[in-house]
Amino acid sequence: MLDSKIPEGSLENKWRNYQIKAQLINPANKKKLNIIVVGSGLAGAGAAATLAELGYDVKCFCYQDSARRAHSVAAQGGINAAKNYQHDGDSVWRMFHDTLKGGDFRSREANVYRLAELSAPLIDHYVQQGVPFAREYGGVLVNRSFGGVQVQRTFYARGQTGQQLLLAAYSQLYKMKRAKKVEMFPRHELLDLVVIEGRAKGIIVRDLITGKLKRFAADAVVLATGGYSRVFRLSTLAIGCNGSAIWKAHKRGAYFAAPSFTQIHPTALPQTSEAQSKLTLMSESLRNDGRIWVPKKKGDDRKANTIPEGERDYYLERRYPSFGNLAPRDIASRAAKERIDAGYGVGRLKNAVYLDFKHAIERFGMETIKDRYGNLFKMYKKITGVDAYNEPMQISPAAHFSMGGLWVDYELMTTIPGLYAIGECNFSDHGANRLGANSLLQASIDGYFVLPNTINNYLAHALKEDHPTTEHPEFERVENEVKEHINKLLSVQGNKTVDHFHRELGKVMWQECAMSRNAEGLEKAIAQIKGIINAFWNEVNVTGGHKEMNTELEKALRLADFLEMGLLMCTDALEREESCGAHFREEFQTSEGEALRNDDTYSYVSAWEYNGGSFNLHKEDLTFENVQPTVRSYK
Amino acid sequence: MFFRKSIIALTGLFLCIFLIVHLSANSILVLPEETARSLYNSYSTTLRESPLIKIVAYVLYLSIILHVVYALLITINNRKAKAKGYRVNQYKENSSWTSQNMGLLGISILLFIVVHLANFWARIKLGMGEGVGLDANGHVDVYEVTYSLFQNGYYVVFYTLLMVPLGLHLHHGLKSAFMTLGFYHKRGLRTIAKVSLVYAIIMAVGFGVIPSIVFLK
Amino acid sequence: MKVIFKIWRQENAASKGNFESYEVDGLTKDMSFLEALDHLNELLVSINKRVIAYEYDCREGICGQCGVFINGRAHGPHDHMTTCQLHMRSFEDGDTIVVEPWRASAFPIIKDLVVDRSALDNIIEKGGYISAKTGTAPEANAILVGKELADKAMDAAACIGCGACVATCKNSSASLFTAAKINHLNSLPQGKQEASKRVLEMTRQMELEGFGSCTFTGACEVECPEGISILNIAEMNARRTKAKWLG
Repeated sequence: MLDSKIPEGSLENKWRNYQIKAQLINPANKKKLNIIVVGSGLAGAGAAATLAELGYDVKCFCYQDSARRAHSVAAQGGINAAKNYQHDGDSVWRMFHDTLKGGDFRSREANVYRLAELSAPLIDHYVQQGVPFAREYGGVLVNRSFGGVQVQRTFYARGQTGQQLLLAAYSQLYKMKRAKKVEMFPRHELLDLVVIEGRAKGIIVRDLITGKLKRFAADAVVLATGGYSRVFRLSTLAIGCNGSAIWKAHKRGAYFAAPSFTQIHPTALPQTSEAQSKLTLMSESLRNDGRIWVPKKKGDDRKANTIPEGERDYYLERRYPSFGNLAPRDIASRAAKERIDAGYGVGRLKNAVYLDFKHAIERFGMETIKDRYGNLFKMYKKITGVDAYNEPMQISPAAHFSMGGLWVDYELMTTIPGLYAIGECNFSDHGANRLGANSLLQASIDGYFVLPNTINNYLAHALKEDHPTTEHPEFERVENEVKEHINKLLSVQGNKTVDHFHRELGKVMWQECAMSRNAEGLEKAIAQIKGIINAFWNEVNVTGGHKEMNTELEKALRLADFLEMGLLMCTDALEREESCGAHFREEFQTSEGEALRNDDTYSYVSAWEYNGGSFNLHKEDLTFENVQPTVRSYK
Repeated sequence: MFFRKSIIALTGLFLCIFLIVHLSANSILVLPEETARSLYNSYSTTLRESPLIKIVAYVLYLSIILHVVYALLITINNRKAKAKGYRVNQYKENSSWTSQNMGLLGISILLFIVVHLANFWARIKLGMGEGVGLDANGHVDVYEVTYSLFQNGYYVVFYTLLMVPLGLHLHHGLKSAFMTLGFYHKRGLRTIAKVSLVYAIIMAVGFGVIPSIVFLK
Repeated sequence: MKVIFKIWRQENAASKGNFESYEVDGLTKDMSFLEALDHLNELLVSINKRVIAYEYDCREGICGQCGVFINGRAHGPHDHMTTCQLHMRSFEDGDTIVVEPWRASAFPIIKDLVVDRSALDNIIEKGGYISAKTGTAPEANAILVGKELADKAMDAAACIGCGACVATCKNSSASLFTAAKINHLNSLPQGKQEASKRVLEMTRQMELEGFGSCTFTGACEVECPEGISILNIAEMNARRTKAKWLG
């Protein structure tokens, strides 16, 4: 049923074979084809710019005031590539293996291999676009190590790698805008997808300044709308990040894959109050040189610097001697949660662990540490008021990346023909857990290298068909549904704020569907979320109208989708009776508390079909021809 | 805009050089009466007669006019760029008062120049107002014009006080002229900033105290 | 903690706008400034009032979307900080906090505290890129870039495009923003090919957008969240002169 369209041939030759057989479209015909790209992050901007370079007519939408704000901007640590510049035994194969293993063998071999294979040319590409990656004095590129990996393959631009890559992609986008091949629509938010005769043919967007609903038709629609971890409300994501585009697509027929695979990042700043809106991420790269510890004594209230070495528990180094502080994110987060839950947490709310640079400063000197992490320390000081050069940082796990997303085949097409999902909003390469510095990589590879090579295969058919217009009755119908949805929200006029319900949802999701899950809790969560949905539609108050800039309405529209998505996430987590990667079911663990995977029963990608109020499960079986799934050990 | 800014900077720098020459001439005024009179008058005669200086004088007039006109045009344009200001603006926390008020300072200096030209240039070169006599050497007695002007306490106060805006204007103007013209060497600019400060103090104090010295003679 | 917010309210671009005062109780020092505004908005909803429109996205100081004038300073009382990084511990109980939108003719107000900064995108469009099509790049280490040069380019490239430089400048000049992008690209070997064209076209666009000129007050580098040096503007001037006269 689910055809992942994996090309023939050996792993090394699959992408090559695909490209050889893929259809081409001649330049004169490309001009006649329109493509809508929703989202302007690394995936969206990269795709829009590249498709425009190839000759397609592209329209690019983002909800922010400029494409340069997309949340790729916030990625700090770096981007991986199998260049083997450090001469430390890296290769495409090793990177493929690390990523597959890091994802706990819940992703497709062919996809992951392609990711590793295209990583090296991607670095060439970004350097050429003017990304000021860190350099040695002699002028060559520098690498650093990152969690879950034993080689140094991460390229970085201070602690602002995502920003620098995004600015490169954004600049290419505007280059193509100047060439009149891309039309930009900032401050426009997708509210629904238009599917005509089974094919994606357009979108309905809301102009966030005037509130006007607008229709756009195209030969193909590309979603590059990022992750949905704001479902937890408190997350490392931007406040505006949302899952509405993929959720609407899901409701129009696109399968949603592995929704419960969401990563909890181990090094964010701890929550300090109920009113908090955001958990700031401190780059994982800090774990390169920082050492994580908690006091050996429960409830130790002494100041960090006064606790002697002998009374500190470097629990990651203790539990995972070979990877130590560089254990993958899911493991590091769970280990922190274990210590915090056991009563060893530090900080005012006892919800944090220490990340200490004392030894690194002693070893490498203040200057080196400043050079590597200066801006992160500055950021830490701005937010907490504490100087981390003198005392350890306090960090805590926070909802971060969503590995799950719209199910896509090898061509990155969803189950709706003509609808593509790229970057974080799809489920493709990361399996059950994403390795650090692979996110920028996947978004870029999808946008720059993969999609522009696969979309032709579909569009070659579109050439022969009628081009869609917004006059089609289906546009009318969908727009009316959107209008009705908005009016319904505005007419509740209850007595609670949107944020109130988001906090409620967030608490349930964080409690039951985050770092560790169990059947009982998930069932309870599903019931609770249904209750919240009911209350939301009866008690929410959205002031202001829809024909104006109305930030409250924007939030309400996004939350309405998050609520439903929360249900699916819990349903998925409940269905998967094993522990793998970021998905840790308490019922399935070893006696040492490590994840217990069940390859016999669950070696598949769950792909959920929307069915009115419920969801039907489809399975894409994962077969491993080149790598034997092993128990992931970082000890 | 860049062209206009460059002209303001170039003319400004030229005027800065002019001020050095002007101050060194003025310093003659502090010498004992007879020496000062003969030196000052012969110096000013030399200036008036030299053909090269004549050209320089026209460059000077042109510089002042260009500096003022372009500053005015730029200011109008800048005002247009900020059509509405802030209710509360604590700009002193991020920049100097001087840098924020170069226009106001410039206008004060312009006012000064008008009065100054009326006092000297109009009388000596255009022959307006009371006639000017000759000294013992047959030179036009510019010294006498100066001396008599600064017997008036109001003029002394005016000439002294108006050197404050001049000093401030020079302090910011000199270093920012270098940056406008594209000098961006970090340490070099730090030196220029110091030089600007010293230069501005010397000019303001130098021009500022001479009227009082003459008054007290 | 209790404060009085005095906030600029303006329904849309065409309307006049005025300050409104809101006494807000129940804040804590740990809250960020934007969280305090969130709290105020929830209070407004509870009394059926329209919420205040203000901008933010990442809330970690990198996206550049937030930005308001707080008590007479761009992004509030601290140097080198974004609005989202400002916390209520920077204020005293009982303070009056005046909040105004960025003021610049090139940044028309959309609503309340939200302004339109697309003029900055328009400057980028005129050359803030390197014309290199996807798939055409040479090997990354084939062109060496020394550490000092890479660091210098990075210093300039760090600009987050928030517009604080324009907002704080008495002339609403976008020189720091434009200079940062020009110097980032023109100093790298990859950007050399289009260097002259870039500096001329971007500075021209900057003028066309209605930004004022730079008079080196230095306010921009103090308010810049990334602390981008004003020397960048001098460097841009040098590059422009060179491009203009030497090509």
